[in-house]
Amino acid sequence: MNREKVVFSFFMILALTLNYGFYAGEVDNPNHHNVYELFAVVIVNMIATVLKFGDRSQMGAMLLATSLVALVQLFSATIVWTYVVNIQGNAMTPDTMSTIISLSGGALIANFISVILLIIETSMMRH
Amino acid sequence: MSLVTSLIMRQMRAPVIILILGYSISILGMVLTPGIDDQGNPWHMSFFDAFYFVSYTATTIGFGEIPYALSNAQRTWALITIYLTVIAWFYSLGKIISLVQDPTFRQALKINQFTHQLSRIPDRFILICGFGETGHALASALTERYIHTVVIEKDIQLIQTLPLEDFKLVVPGITGDASNPEDLIRAGLQNPKCAAVIAATASDKTNLKIAVTSKLLNPEICVICRSELAEYERNMFSFGTDFVVNPFDTFANIFAMAMHSPSLHLLYDWLTGVPDTDLSNPVYIKEGHWIICGFGRFGQSLYQQLLKSNIQVTVIDPSESKREEFLNKSENHENDFIIGTGFDAHTLTVAGVGHAVGLVSGTDNDSNNLSIIMTAREINPDLFIVARHNKKTNEKLFIATQANIIMQPSEIIARKIRSLLLSPLMVAFLNKARKQDPTWANITISRIMGALGESIPNIWTLEVSPEEAKALCKTLQLGRIIRVGNLLQDPRQREQQIEAIPLLLKRNQKLLLMPTDDIAIKSEDQLLFCGTPSASRSMMWTLNDIHSLNYIMTYEETYDSSIWRKVTQFLKRKERRNRPRQNRHRIK
Repeated sequence: MNREKVVFSFFMILALTLNYGFYAGEVDNPNHHNVYELFAVVIVNMIATVLKFGDRSQMGAMLLATSLVALVQLFSATIVWTYVVNIQGNAMTPDTMSTIISLSGGALIANFISVILLIIETSMMRH
Repeated sequence: MSLVTSLIMRQMRAPVIILILGYSISILGMVLTPGIDDQGNPWHMSFFDAFYFVSYTATTIGFGEIPYALSNAQRTWALITIYLTVIAWFYSLGKIISLVQDPTFRQALKINQFTHQLSRIPDRFILICGFGETGHALASALTERYIHTVVIEKDIQLIQTLPLEDFKLVVPGITGDASNPEDLIRAGLQNPKCAAVIAATASDKTNLKIAVTSKLLNPEICVICRSELAEYERNMFSFGTDFVVNPFDTFANIFAMAMHSPSLHLLYDWLTGVPDTDLSNPVYIKEGHWIICGFGRFGQSLYQQLLKSNIQVTVIDPSESKREEFLNKSENHENDFIIGTGFDAHTLTVAGVGHAVGLVSGTDNDSNNLSIIMTAREINPDLFIVARHNKKTNEKLFIATQANIIMQPSEIIARKIRSLLLSPLMVAFLNKARKQDPTWANITISRIMGALGESIPNIWTLEVSPEEAKALCKTLQLGRIIRVGNLLQDPRQREQQIEAIPLLLKRNQKLLLMPTDDIAIKSEDQLLFCGTPSASRSMMWTLNDIHSLNYIMTYEETYDSSIWRKVTQFLKRKERRNRPRQNRHRIK
């Protein structure tokens, strides 16, 4: 068993599951989406990205790219949240919430692709 | 992704993750810890507030600017935040600094830099293996003529001095073992721009390995080897090494040349020297009794040459085995070998230094050589002295001895390889010049001095091909006749001559020494010239610029622009019409 692989897969899958947890629920209902969950998604995604640094293989490059896409999406979501709530000082509205959720939905797809690539890589190693 | 970036990224994983974890734990804790606002109501920091707070705390900036005063619970967490994040930063910075100082990382950076420099070389380059004295002299001479060179050297300190050298071109250098094929490939052996490999390390064994590797991995390439031992020399030639240069044999040949014809030697010295330095004076070697101290490779080479000239030679060497070697080679001269060191007056007197005309101090130890010269000069101040100079650092000492000829192996090799590489025609010229009588050399010398003045001339080769002489080839195709003398006319003032002398003409494998001005040039001829740098530039104009050539040949001016061509045609027609009739036929 390769410990690096365990840690790596753990963070990849955790990023996907947390992302789904945040994404699930009605799109425009702020009560269905927890800010702590978003925080956790961002942190886990960042760690998952850093873990792919310096991998020279083709698969490593693909994984890094999908993770970076997810990060860009998630950062956009947090910036929207910060801008509306902390800078403008408004309460969270359904409009803003749906923007944030759709952005995190994009990140979800990217994370999903990451996990699929991971599975492909693992199954190729078995043969 | 290049190796260096990938190496950095991989090493950065742990520090960056530690930073992310430190920050996220601190932020989360700050958000969760209860606080109190200015009205005494319970209050929690938002993620935005917490990120702001942790950012200025972690970087030890410490604004202290927060919406409300911290509660004790928040202060406790702030304490944890400070230690956690500051330590995370220290750890990360330490990691990055140690990465930068890591030898493997530095090596990777150097290789990266080298590859970059190599890719920026615009045309052909020459790979020099070994950056000792020979390699240095070669790199200096080649870059002087704007030929790109690349250096591979085992000693990292020598490579580090490369950027400090005052070369005219950037010389990329890489540390590596030249006898290792992988290092040679990294240095650019298989690069399509690599034109030649020079094996100039001090070890014959390494040079042999370099030659084998180069010929196997890139058969097209020209390989030049430095060699000091005959057995290696034969081995190098056996698989097609293009040139093998032996410093001792080369010197012995030059020495013999100087002995038979001082003027020919002077010509050789001028034409192979470093351009724009002062012309040297002729050396007159006396015939008579000679003494050779040290019967190593150098002593043996010179001994053979002196024997060929029927000169009486006495050899001094401390080694018994050398005596046997000597006796094997020359059976009738057993009295001419004296066992001794040579730097004591007794041995020298026994060898007959008092009535000798010349002395060779040819041991491989500079202190011994200097000592021999001093002792011998004391006994016989009129001696002609040939000194072997081994280490570059002793240069000043040897100059101070005022020896008549100072032989430095690395310089001899550099000079020979330089002429091999820069002008193959020069080698042909010198070979042919050797067969001429001494008066020929005298005339040539006075011609060069008269035309070019007091400094060593530049040498250049002209190949009559469309690439090198565009205008000349075009005109020759028209069936016009251009003579050697025409090329020596100044393209700015055709009545004047440029300061250049044609040395050799090569046509269909036939060589013609000192071609005269009336010889007509043919396509695919090769010509060797010597002259001043400005003469070489003027000649380039004549060869490549059709207007300059037309001017020299007093042909009609041609014009590139179609309008001007029409105008001149019109003017010519008009002129012809106005001319009287009887003249018209003669003009045609």
